[in-house]
Amino acid sequence: MTVQYVVQGALNAMEPISVGLMVLGILLGILMGSIPGMTATMTIAVLLSFTFTLDPANGMMLLLGIYGGAVYAGSIPAILIRTPGTPSAAATIFDGYPLSQQGDAGRAIRVATVASFVGGFISVLALMFFSPIIADAAQNFRSPEFFALAVFGLTIIASVSGDSVTKGMVSGLLGMLVATVGIDPITGYHRFTFDLPALLTGVEFIAVMIGLFGIAEGFRKYAQGIESDRERVDQDVSGPLPSLSDLKAILPVSAGGGVLGSLIGSIPGAGGDIAAFITYNEATRWISDAVPAFGEGNVRGVAAAESGNNASTGGALIPTLTLGIPGDSVSAILIGALLVHDVNPGPGLYQDEPELLYTIFVGFLLIYVFILVFGLLGAGYWARLINIPKQFLWPIILLLCVIGAIALRGNLFDAWIMLGSGVLGYAMRLRGYPLAPMVLGLILAPIAEENLRRSLELSNGSPDIFLTSPIALVILLLSVGTVLLPAVRAVRE
Amino acid sequence: MVRQRIADAIGRVSVGTLVSNPLSVGFILVSLAVIAAASTFPDDGLFGPSLFPIVTSAGIIVFAAVDMLNGSGSELEVSDVDVGPPAVVFGLLVAYIVAMPVLGFWIGSMLFLGALLYYSEIRSRPLLLALSIGVPTLLFYIFGRIFLVRLPEAIVPVSRLLPQVPLVVGI
Repeated sequence: MTVQYVVQGALNAMEPISVGLMVLGILLGILMGSIPGMTATMTIAVLLSFTFTLDPANGMMLLLGIYGGAVYAGSIPAILIRTPGTPSAAATIFDGYPLSQQGDAGRAIRVATVASFVGGFISVLALMFFSPIIADAAQNFRSPEFFALAVFGLTIIASVSGDSVTKGMVSGLLGMLVATVGIDPITGYHRFTFDLPALLTGVEFIAVMIGLFGIAEGFRKYAQGIESDRERVDQDVSGPLPSLSDLKAILPVSAGGGVLGSLIGSIPGAGGDIAAFITYNEATRWISDAVPAFGEGNVRGVAAAESGNNASTGGALIPTLTLGIPGDSVSAILIGALLVHDVNPGPGLYQDEPELLYTIFVGFLLIYVFILVFGLLGAGYWARLINIPKQFLWPIILLLCVIGAIALRGNLFDAWIMLGSGVLGYAMRLRGYPLAPMVLGLILAPIAEENLRRSLELSNGSPDIFLTSPIALVILLLSVGTVLLPAVRAVRE
Repeated sequence: MVRQRIADAIGRVSVGTLVSNPLSVGFILVSLAVIAAASTFPDDGLFGPSLFPIVTSAGIIVFAAVDMLNGSGSELEVSDVDVGPPAVVFGLLVAYIVAMPVLGFWIGSMLFLGALLYYSEIRSRPLLLALSIGVPTLLFYIFGRIFLVRLPEAIVPVSRLLPQVPLVVGI
């Protein structure tokens, strides 16, 4: 049965329109990922509106192309100008930039390309193999377990985003509070709608996401001064394919980074940046006799970081597609993209939409093959993208934000929601509040609320229902620990 | 010992603490208002429509208060940030959205993009004209004519004068 779906998924993914959208997505992802400050999250949030009228599979091809392309391309400025294009490429600097200083930037970029391919490919294979098993196990989950999972997703992202767990929790709970606006899903009561028809179906969370990641980031860039925010790259990075000795050196570490990065990426909240730092750190432990030493331009350091961060992309989709719990802020937006098409990520997806899922899986594998080809053939061109002045890009991005909000329902109300979210997001960033937990809160609120209320109804109001389910209890204890541990540490200090 | 630390932290709260944490104070006030509003929802047992807003608001109050009392060092000084440019961009966005029902998407976007590009120090007239006419026209065709998104139309519907393209929806 699975083979049949894989074959059908491959046929769907290889349709010309799907391949065209993948390629377009990868090119857009590489364009934005190559420019420091343009994150994968922002790019996907801003360009999400282009998928509203596509069918779900084709929409996902475009978005996953952007995702993979941006995470890969973040390595290019990290290597060339010591500034990661996306946060997940921060660890690539350690060895990538020294290589660049030694005149080996082209070699470093090609190594990063191969490692990104290996890490990404392994992570999609892990997604294909493990997610049906997890989804099958999750079929036995009931309301208490789903409530516990939603709480866990929120607490863990709150604890790993930004410097302060309390700020992360405020941000996440704020997202949950915003999600309560609209008709109560159980009783039909109108909550906080202020008699506005546009609010009956709730706040459009995609408008909020565009505001938080597009508008707020735009405000931040203008505050920093975009006209002075320009880098110049004149290095020649063209050259042959990676040498056999480089491939021999990096393939084992890339494979290891791929496995570890997939595992880390599958933990809700742990994104590509954490995956890359951990895989890099592990590589330095695995290879104690590295020559040159790590941090002094070792290609295996570049490979470890790049395989780790790209592996997190497939890993992040495991909880997203199997449990409906986003692995990171990008997968939260991908959930939003699926919900627009009435596709509900979660355990039921494997029974309801197996063909769509396997199209996504095979399509994501193809995306990494394309990234390998484009990365190796076009390194010289991608490096030049860093020179694009941001003065041109930000006005167009802000215009795309507005049209993205309008395209949701064809009304201006969502544009105001987006703008309000942008102002709130900017103020929150100024005050050190991370924004990713807010997006997760928005996505997780319906899961958390419905399952909390259903659990309490089943137990006649007794919280014992969460204690008598071993799975729910363990997950809730982990959640409490995630929030309390930093607090205990702070008190001790 | 923990109790003493909490008492010390509460003792440190002053007007200055509240002023230097405007967002935390704002979130607490909003949460209190939400709790007050949610308390008026119809009583549908313990687990009615008010439960979740009250639980999340209470959570916000607790964490925002802890954050404030903790004097978390991660807060940035707003005075260090030049809020002038974002305010200008915000103003342009507000003007753009307000004017869209009158000017329509196509013309409104041209003016908005032209103004924002000019504000972003783009001074080349050919470039300004090419981008501020070309990008909105391209987006108009993609969203309005291909994706069939209902874009705001001007009082004088000039965008209808643009040539049609074959429909490619439902890809």
